[in-house]
Amino acid sequence: MSGRAGSRLNVDAVALFAAAATLICAAPALAVIGFALAPGEGARFGGPLLTNGALGTLGLTLAGGTGAIVLGAASAWLVSLCRFPGRGAFEWLLVIPLAAPSYVLAYAYSGLTWAGGPIAFPVRGFWGAAFIYAIGLYPYVYLAARAAFASQSACALEAARTLGAKPGALFFRVGLPLARPGLVAGGALALMEIAADYGAAQHFGLTTLSTAIFRAWYAHQSAHGALQIAAVLLIAALVFLVAERRARGRAGFADGGARWRTLPRYTLSPLAAAGAFVFCAGLIVLGAALPLGWLAYIAVEHTYAADITKAFFNSISLAGAGALATLVLAALIAVSARRGGAMGKFSLFAAGMGYAAPGAVLALGAFSMFGLMREFGWIGGVGVSLALVTLIWAYAARFTAAGAQPIDAGLARLSKGLDASARTLGAGPARRLWQVDLPIAAPSLAAALLILFVDILKELPATLIIRPFNFDTLAVIAYQYASDEQLELAAAPSLLIFAAGLAPILLLTRSIARGRAGSR
Amino acid sequence: MSSVTLSNVRRIYDGKPVVNEVSLTAPEAQVLALLGASGSGKSTLLRLIAGLESVDGGEIRLGDEIASTPKRTLPAEARRVGMVFQDYSLFPHLSAAANVAFGLEHLPRAEREAQALSWLDRIGLHARAHAFPHELSGGEQQRVALARALAPKPRAVLLDEPFSGLDPVLREELRQVTMDALAETRTTALFVTHDAEEALLVADRLAILKNGRLLQEAAPRDAYDKPASIDAAAALGPINTAEGRVENGAVATPFGAISARHLIEGAQARVAVRAEAVRLAPGRQARVIDVRPHGAHDLVRIEADGVVWRALAPARTVLGERVDVGLQPAGAFAFSAAG
Repeated sequence: MSGRAGSRLNVDAVALFAAAATLICAAPALAVIGFALAPGEGARFGGPLLTNGALGTLGLTLAGGTGAIVLGAASAWLVSLCRFPGRGAFEWLLVIPLAAPSYVLAYAYSGLTWAGGPIAFPVRGFWGAAFIYAIGLYPYVYLAARAAFASQSACALEAARTLGAKPGALFFRVGLPLARPGLVAGGALALMEIAADYGAAQHFGLTTLSTAIFRAWYAHQSAHGALQIAAVLLIAALVFLVAERRARGRAGFADGGARWRTLPRYTLSPLAAAGAFVFCAGLIVLGAALPLGWLAYIAVEHTYAADITKAFFNSISLAGAGALATLVLAALIAVSARRGGAMGKFSLFAAGMGYAAPGAVLALGAFSMFGLMREFGWIGGVGVSLALVTLIWAYAARFTAAGAQPIDAGLARLSKGLDASARTLGAGPARRLWQVDLPIAAPSLAAALLILFVDILKELPATLIIRPFNFDTLAVIAYQYASDEQLELAAAPSLLIFAAGLAPILLLTRSIARGRAGSR
Repeated sequence: MSSVTLSNVRRIYDGKPVVNEVSLTAPEAQVLALLGASGSGKSTLLRLIAGLESVDGGEIRLGDEIASTPKRTLPAEARRVGMVFQDYSLFPHLSAAANVAFGLEHLPRAEREAQALSWLDRIGLHARAHAFPHELSGGEQQRVALARALAPKPRAVLLDEPFSGLDPVLREELRQVTMDALAETRTTALFVTHDAEEALLVADRLAILKNGRLLQEAAPRDAYDKPASIDAAAALGPINTAEGRVENGAVATPFGAISARHLIEGAQARVAVRAEAVRLAPGRQARVIDVRPHGAHDLVRIEADGVVWRALAPARTVLGERVDVGLQPAGAFAFSAAG
């Protein structure tokens, strides 16, 4: 609540900047819809590419999503409510598969199980992709379900135990219903990731909406057809996003900052404890240790086979620039949302839409947008710099929400009294921002920057579509080598992406460990 | 220093007035205590005076300056009104000294630091100047918050339940530190509390609030001796109430008559008797049904004709004993039931 005089100007300035940030985030998605609706040549709406793509995406989200939800819920239940050897370590180790993008897991498993690989059971085709999604994305569900089991349901679970419920009954009758909002939220994230995935589906030769966009774009040379498929995927994602928000209702998706209560746990029988151990260890081995180990082994064996230095520096500088640009937008939107008002809330939602939209969709939007601007003569040149600006714009549209979320959470921790204190001590809006808000939010800004950097580093489809000619990043060369069936050359860049992805995961697990230490 | 004057101040949340036509004055260099239960609007009143919220009616003046009207709110940062928050709200990223120096931005750095240190010295925290808030105890944080609010020499300082959440011994000590600092700097202070004893102890003036309305504003002694209403009487300690008709200038209760000469003969009246004005002596009139130790006194419940009253009795009273009851006129009040 600000004074009606004096500070109005500043409130409006923040809202104005937030509105601009929102427009930047929303523009590529709007462009996709606009261009898709515009009359033009190209693939007929509803052509076989679209139908097959929709079926493929639907099937994969069902199969992979179900797998991720089952694995995530079961593992969360085990570490939250049961006592077995290694439980404490599994609690944070189970998050690690999140570090690897699906396409990296796909490449690793191809090398492991296809021609000449050490494992004779081939991971390929539809079920191979579903396996990759389930094993790589279950941590989303695990984190949400674990938060649900550990926090709001603790009392209900204890009550059920005093009423004599056995572990199995407790899981199905109390735990699962209570964790439902968390399962919905975590499952939704996994489903969105599956729908947005391009690299793994492409590698397994599957037709999904994401791969169909590429096929229309490159093979059929039909920009308009690609845009129409992108529009369908975008609208599906948005419908899904809104449905998910509704289903989740008021039950928030617990973030890493929540404190975990130590629950009284069931002591499992030796056989059951062994089963729980094997289950959790199996998830970590299949989701991280095995693929990571293989990539490391192959990468070391082929150290000098591929020169990845240039791609490495391209990745670092592109991800750095993209993360900084996105961070500014994310901070503006988060600050504006925190100060209240309809604009801030709308900005946060609009940024969330960008996050739900697959990278390929936003890339097409940004690309077409800049193409149109060039046609109108608003901007000149073609060159490398224009493509990079377009690419960073697409990253910002996709990832602003991912950056805004931790900043928002960091700002939420500020006592409202701090702002009031600063005001009664004579500090105007600018001084409050620089000397109070920003220094206190600095850790969450740093966390947001790290998350954005790694998300952009891992990003594949948008980078593939927009990158300037001959501008290769780690993700791009991993993809190209894998496409050329040179998996041994894809290993080193894949490994680097995996390693980079570990950084924010370790940050997350650190907050889990800290929360546990502080719990009573 | 300035006086703080509120005239018919209103503040409305969701169509409901949380501060309703409140008029009062905090005289220059005096301590005004705002006493009320939670929901009485006392904290909102402070936020209005600080300029953190806008008034929906009436006006607030700081000295001669009009600070708030429904049309114009002088922003908090331009008011020079200090505030000590209930949770202290120290800046977690700044040391104790830097917290105190925050409001001294207009001074050169050396002067700023010197003043901050001198303030920490004054409140006995010189040695903790470089400690961060999380390294300070609750009492130390409270002192830093006080020094931070007073350091910029505000026109008035507002204290929102500054001692709640502290243990009684520390509370007493900090109250003394705070009152000394206020007196020494001759700062006008408005002090919110729900603790009647504390309000009586620290205030030069006392304002009693209930449901957003001002029940009474008076010197503490007057508020205690001449409550304006039953509610005002109840705000300053446990009371017993009864209703009856004024007959021969008095209202009869099961425990004795109460003088009501200022009321119209035959009118319906309500009476309030402070528990400490109920005197017990061995006798027959009433029966002791409950005895609870209450410091030097016992809080005693007595019963007669099915009516139960409370008494704060100095002597040790025996449960089940029969007593005679005397009502001290100074602690017994009659009000017209019509008003």
